[in-house]
Amino acid sequence: MNSRSLLLNAYVYAVLAFVLVPIIIILPMAFSDTNYLTFPPEGFTLHWFGDFFGNSRWMKALRFSAEIAALTALVTTVVGTMACYALVRGAGRIGALFQGLLIGPIVVPHIALAVALYLFFQKTGLSGTVAGYVFAHSVIAMPFVVFTVAAALTSVDPALEDAAMSCGATRFTAFRLVTLPLILPNVLSGGLFAFIISFDEPVIAFFLAGIRDKTLPRMMFDNIEQNLTPVIPAIAVLLTCLSILVLVGAALLRRASVRTTAAPAQD
Amino acid sequence: MLDGRTADGAAISLRGLEKRFGSLAAVDDVSIDIESGEFLALLGPSGSGKSTILMSLAGFERPTKGQILIDGVDCTPLPPHKRNIGMVFQHYTLFPHLSVVENVAFPLKMRKVAKSERIRRAEAALKTVRLEGYGQRAPKQLSGGQQQRVALARAIVYNPRVLLMDEPLSALDKNLREEMQLEIKRLHSELGITVVFVTHDQGEALTMADRVAILKEGRLQQISPARELYERPANLFAASFIGEMNQIPVDYDGGVVRLGGGQAIALPQEALVQPVPPGKAVLAVRPERVRLVDATSADALPVRLRDVVYAGAGTLVIGDLADGTEIRARIPSADSADLRAGTTLHMGFPPGAMLLYGGGAA
Ligand SMILES: Nc1ncnc2c1ncn2[C@@H]1O[C@H](COP(=O)(O)OP(=O)(O)OP(=O)(O)O)[C@@H](O)[C@H]1O
Ligand SMILES: [Mg+2]
Repeated sequence: MNSRSLLLNAYVYAVLAFVLVPIIIILPMAFSDTNYLTFPPEGFTLHWFGDFFGNSRWMKALRFSAEIAALTALVTTVVGTMACYALVRGAGRIGALFQGLLIGPIVVPHIALAVALYLFFQKTGLSGTVAGYVFAHSVIAMPFVVFTVAAALTSVDPALEDAAMSCGATRFTAFRLVTLPLILPNVLSGGLFAFIISFDEPVIAFFLAGIRDKTLPRMMFDNIEQNLTPVIPAIAVLLTCLSILVLVGAALLRRASVRTTAAPAQD
Repeated sequence: MLDGRTADGAAISLRGLEKRFGSLAAVDDVSIDIESGEFLALLGPSGSGKSTILMSLAGFERPTKGQILIDGVDCTPLPPHKRNIGMVFQHYTLFPHLSVVENVAFPLKMRKVAKSERIRRAEAALKTVRLEGYGQRAPKQLSGGQQQRVALARAIVYNPRVLLMDEPLSALDKNLREEMQLEIKRLHSELGITVVFVTHDQGEALTMADRVAILKEGRLQQISPARELYERPANLFAASFIGEMNQIPVDYDGGVVRLGGGQAIALPQEALVQPVPPGKAVLAVRPERVRLVDATSADALPVRLRDVVYAGAGTLVIGDLADGTEIRARIPSADSADLRAGTTLHMGFPPGAMLLYGGGAA
């Protein structure tokens, strides 16, 4: 092993440690048999998970977040796939402009976006509503969906749709019966990303929360401010598990898509 | 035969077809009348507008001028899915997520044919292209030739009256290509369908088509049956594009041509495919029509031999006329045993072998 790859390895492990250490610290605390956060944890209990699932306010926030996340996933996959189609198959200049617009939400800090949306929502009465959340979350999740779908769409031969149209399909039917099935794994994987981005999104939730309906991350903020109990690490454990599930699911889906769109044998 | 029915082909009429991309005229004022059941090949160098014509016929390109009539009905503004035309593309366009039989049944599904009926007809179409029993395979489990045959089955399964093919065999190797050429010819005569076939392979065009249309820079050069195209090309481009052609610069006085070396040859009237004004002209002769003659013969032209290329049955003889014009002759190898480069011999052109075109050499 030469010195360069040694350095690279060291770097990779440092990054991994940096990412993993907080998780490793927080996870055991979820099982601590104390009423306050402590490290190292003392005793072992599943009490805090029971607390979370047994508390109607937490459950309400969970349902609220899940509803918003599901709608965000739906909106971003439908709009994102259409946008992507225009981007990949459409005219060059408009496509480039569009791509620029899409990268916007990635480079603009979420806090800036949140403030802007806050002012906008104040005027339009969208603050604290499901529609408001879905709109805001769709803005930040859209690029991830578009780029995931674009990866699949560029590998699908446009001539396939021509062939379908010569068989009597309209352009839309050609898309629905030929292109969509081929990119579906990536569309679903984009939707999963959008779901998880919305589900544990803290910044916008902080600005846009209404009095009654709060998302799960927003509820966690409130709880941290008032009485910091190990229910917070317990929720963190649950959210981490969900994220891992989603990532694995997305990876499996994209594997499936590589199989269906791989070039045919040429012999 | 598909379903025991004969889909008799449609007559197609292109009238003053023009397609511009910006300032470039990809197709420039092309008019062709294609008969019902005819097999027409579009032949021309790369960029001559063959695909653009085909795509206009299929409805993927909208001509900037002109009309496309199919059986007398103006189809120019119709989108592809309303034209009822079968199409086979240059590269493989089978739907990868569908099985072979589902691919072939796809056009029937678009036409709302009941499922059992569509499977039955798709299987019948697969049988027509000799791929019985391959229905359950995935497209990528087939060879290139088999995939193009499936594409062919998909294009004919709904008995369209027109079949368009854009270089469908160019991805195949030579043997497979020849086999597929015969296959397509057989299908054409079985189905009676009108076929428009794009190729840049002149051999393919000459062997397969009833008529060949030659294109250059978007303009139609000639449209004729293979024999006429080869034996009486309408202009120098067509003459040099199809097969080999000797081109000898001459002066034409209305009856006799004079070569650079001073020799005069009297031309028969049929040497003029089109009227040629007196003045500079080009005398064209196919190498296989050139004869070796005695020096005493009336039409003998002295030729200094440069190369004698033996190629089995035939031998290619390359030499220079008195004025330096290169001339090639293809003669039976049996007659060429004592030919040596550097020597001088005499060649002659039989009256029926000479063609005259106005202007300079192509
Ligand atoms: N969409 C397009 N935009 C601009 N120019 C085009 C377009 N399609 C074709 N052309 C141009 O039109 C001309 C004719 O193209 P076409 O594809 O019809 O040629 P072809 O005879 O099929 O050639 P090949 O044998 O290479 O397939 C070419 O000069 C090509 O560059
Ligand atoms: Mg072409």
